Amino acid sequence: MYFSDLGLIALVFAFGFAIYTMVVAVLGARRNMPPLVASARRSVLIVAFFLLMASVALVASFLTHDFGVSYVAQHSNLSMPWYYTTAAFNGGQEGSLLYWALMLSLFSAVFVFTAKRAPAVLVPYVLATLMGIEAFFLFMLTTVSNPFVRLPVAPPDGNGLNPLLMDPGMLIHPPLLLMGYMSFSLPFAFAVAAMLTGRLDSEWLRAIRRWMLASWFIQTAGLLVGAWWAYHVLGWGGYWGWDPVENAALFPWLTATAFLHSTMVQERRGMLKVWNLGLVMASFALSIFGTFEVRSGIITSVHSFAYSAIGGYFLAFLGIVIVFSIGLFLYRLPKLRPEHAFDSVLSREGSFLLNNLLLLGVTFATLWGTLFPLISTALSRQMMTVGPPFYDKVNGPIFLVLILAMGVGPLLAWRRTSSHALWRNLGVPVLAAAVCAAVLPLAGIRDIWVNIGFAVCSFTAGAILYEFWRGVRVRHRHGEPYLLALSTLIGRYRQRYGGYLVHLGLVLLAVGVIGSHFFQVQRDAVLKQGQAMQIAGYSLVFLGNINTTSPGVETVTAQLQLWQQGQFQRFIYPGRSFYQNFANQPASIISITTLGLTDVYVFLANYNGASEATIRVFVNPLVPLVWDGGLLMLLGGAICWWPGRRQRRVAPIVPARVARSPEEVAV
Amino acid sequence: MKQRRSLRPFLFVLALVAVVVAIWSFVLLGAPPVKTLDARVLDVASQLKCPICQGESVATSPSLLGQQMRADIRQRLQSGQSEQEVISYYASRYGQQIVWSPQWQGFSLLAWVVPMVLLGGGAILLFFILRAWHRMSRAHPGGEDDPELAKVDEAGLKRYRAQLERELAADDPLFAPQRTEAG
Repeated sequence: MYFSDLGLIALVFAFGFAIYTMVVAVLGARRNMPPLVASARRSVLIVAFFLLMASVALVASFLTHDFGVSYVAQHSNLSMPWYYTTAAFNGGQEGSLLYWALMLSLFSAVFVFTAKRAPAVLVPYVLATLMGIEAFFLFMLTTVSNPFVRLPVAPPDGNGLNPLLMDPGMLIHPPLLLMGYMSFSLPFAFAVAAMLTGRLDSEWLRAIRRWMLASWFIQTAGLLVGAWWAYHVLGWGGYWGWDPVENAALFPWLTATAFLHSTMVQERRGMLKVWNLGLVMASFALSIFGTFEVRSGIITSVHSFAYSAIGGYFLAFLGIVIVFSIGLFLYRLPKLRPEHAFDSVLSREGSFLLNNLLLLGVTFATLWGTLFPLISTALSRQMMTVGPPFYDKVNGPIFLVLILAMGVGPLLAWRRTSSHALWRNLGVPVLAAAVCAAVLPLAGIRDIWVNIGFAVCSFTAGAILYEFWRGVRVRHRHGEPYLLALSTLIGRYRQRYGGYLVHLGLVLLAVGVIGSHFFQVQRDAVLKQGQAMQIAGYSLVFLGNINTTSPGVETVTAQLQLWQQGQFQRFIYPGRSFYQNFANQPASIISITTLGLTDVYVFLANYNGASEATIRVFVNPLVPLVWDGGLLMLLGGAICWWPGRRQRRVAPIVPARVARSPEEVAV
Repeated sequence: MKQRRSLRPFLFVLALVAVVVAIWSFVLLGAPPVKTLDARVLDVASQLKCPICQGESVATSPSLLGQQMRADIRQRLQSGQSEQEVISYYASRYGQQIVWSPQWQGFSLLAWVVPMVLLGGGAILLFFILRAWHRMSRAHPGGEDDPELAKVDEAGLKRYRAQLERELAADDPLFAPQRTEAG
């Protein structure tokens, strides 16, 4: 008996138990029979156990080089190091789906263990929805996309992994992104449960928001690692190309971000319930669309490594999800009335609505651009392509307004803001923006869009930092030293200040994007031994090519000296690797040197013997800020998500005391 | 008096805007930015899709064809063709799909117009929804609204404040009551 047989058996059992959970959970809830619901909980854990077993079986097949398994033979070979052999687990479609299913079962298990915190009526429906999704994936895994299919004759060696995937970034990026897509299932399950039971109170909202925040965090991390991988591997000097697959990963992120904002309106004011449910369902549908798009091959992309016939099944599943969601909506619509009325456009609620409009605007424009080739082929019989220039022109201004709103929004009070208070709060950020807008043109930056962009960024950064300063100042007046005041401020009001950190991170990221978009300089050069090339104050001297061979891979690296303003910086080694079986798909080794806030990015485009090299050099200003900003966003997200202390109830006995001034009390 | 004070920040912002506009017009009108040939080549190349690559523009493509096309674009621009002419030339030679940014004409105009119309429509819809809600709130001032607040007398207000403080102090020791008593 092979490991693969064990895996297949585990998958079949998992499928059976997933179906069992669905039936029993719904039955238990409808007939009001707690033992059935308890059984459903346990059976979720059993599904997780069997999926773990199947995954271990696949990893074991890889590590024992069991090339009798078709999937193993296609995605690994004998010369790969053990970590890439293990990572080949999700190098193809079958493994990715297994990974998706595994993660969903593990998250469902986590939900079962933390289910005490969720409203009890909802639990069975959440379980049933999760296992419904799981059942679809297990159906795919046991039929059309089975990773354990055996070949009639085992080949002596496997095919090996796609060289683009043989990169440390690739060990983390696809798993993170798939996990991100998967994680939108949990908020979706909560939404379905809420619609079926009609319970959408604040307890429900707290539970769903934490799961959504977790999804947002994972998806953000996945997008960032993806950008980092593209920057370090693809060799075109950029980190984001508005590629269809990248866009697909952005869609649920955008709708999740919109949800995390508009849900605050629901929490405080009891409005927008329908809207929020719509956002949750849209996020899930878009994440299924993303999983499907990568695999279907309907849209060409750098990232589609595997084309296959499973597209149709996914499309059907997507259709079911959408129809089911809309049906539930229509069924529940009369119950979802707002509790409070709206007061003023100039209020926090108003700014959240604007935020939602803009985020959905970006989502739609990007979705439209991604699908436009298909639409144009269908309607005008002419395939038209839509690339980065389109997205930059459409989404750039929307993002700019969004960043501006990010600065103004937190300064507005709930319900309504007096214009006097608003102007007072605006003083510092406006000053920051004005200084930036005045200094930059004098310093020689001529492009009007860059100036507007940087001014908006400094406005918002000013507004956020000023908010921090005000909070710290109040605590400092009560006798805390500044640093302690800052950390307790963040620790005690995690939602608020964590959110500000995310905003600050996004502003940094935006500065990095503006800088690298408008000030990137690139140059190609064919260099003979000893020749130098100049670019933007840097100079590169070519010394020669070095050829190295190790089992399964041959590598050519060019040795160059990097000089900045006449000062020697370091030796750099851009190169290319040729993997056995993938000789026409060389992987590039890109040399990136960060000097201050500027990246010098060198790519070896071609070489001729040991004494000639064609290199492309990009000078990318401010790109490091993209990564710093991204890390800050993740930190802020983690702070928001981190569980708070249990709120102690204060007995409402009321002896009169001297009141402090309202401003101090309010902080 | 109060009127004037609330005007002050507004005037301050106005003055700042004036200064910035003055500097910008001085710098930008004084010496209008001239695009270098490199920048123009990059501009054209980034609007063309590399025909043999997947999802890369001519500007960023590391392939040999990309290099040749960039050199060709440079030559054409040097010989006096405009950016648009170069793009049209490539479109006629390789077909419309090579143009990465949809043209402002014919069917591809839809690519631009639809998102803009929807965003604009969304903004207008949002405005009307907000206005309707605003009217509703005026018609039925509900919940925690002003008339009830007006009924609270001085003693009641004091009681609420004290409770607020107690809850605040329970949440955050920094605001514990002994400080207030000392002060």
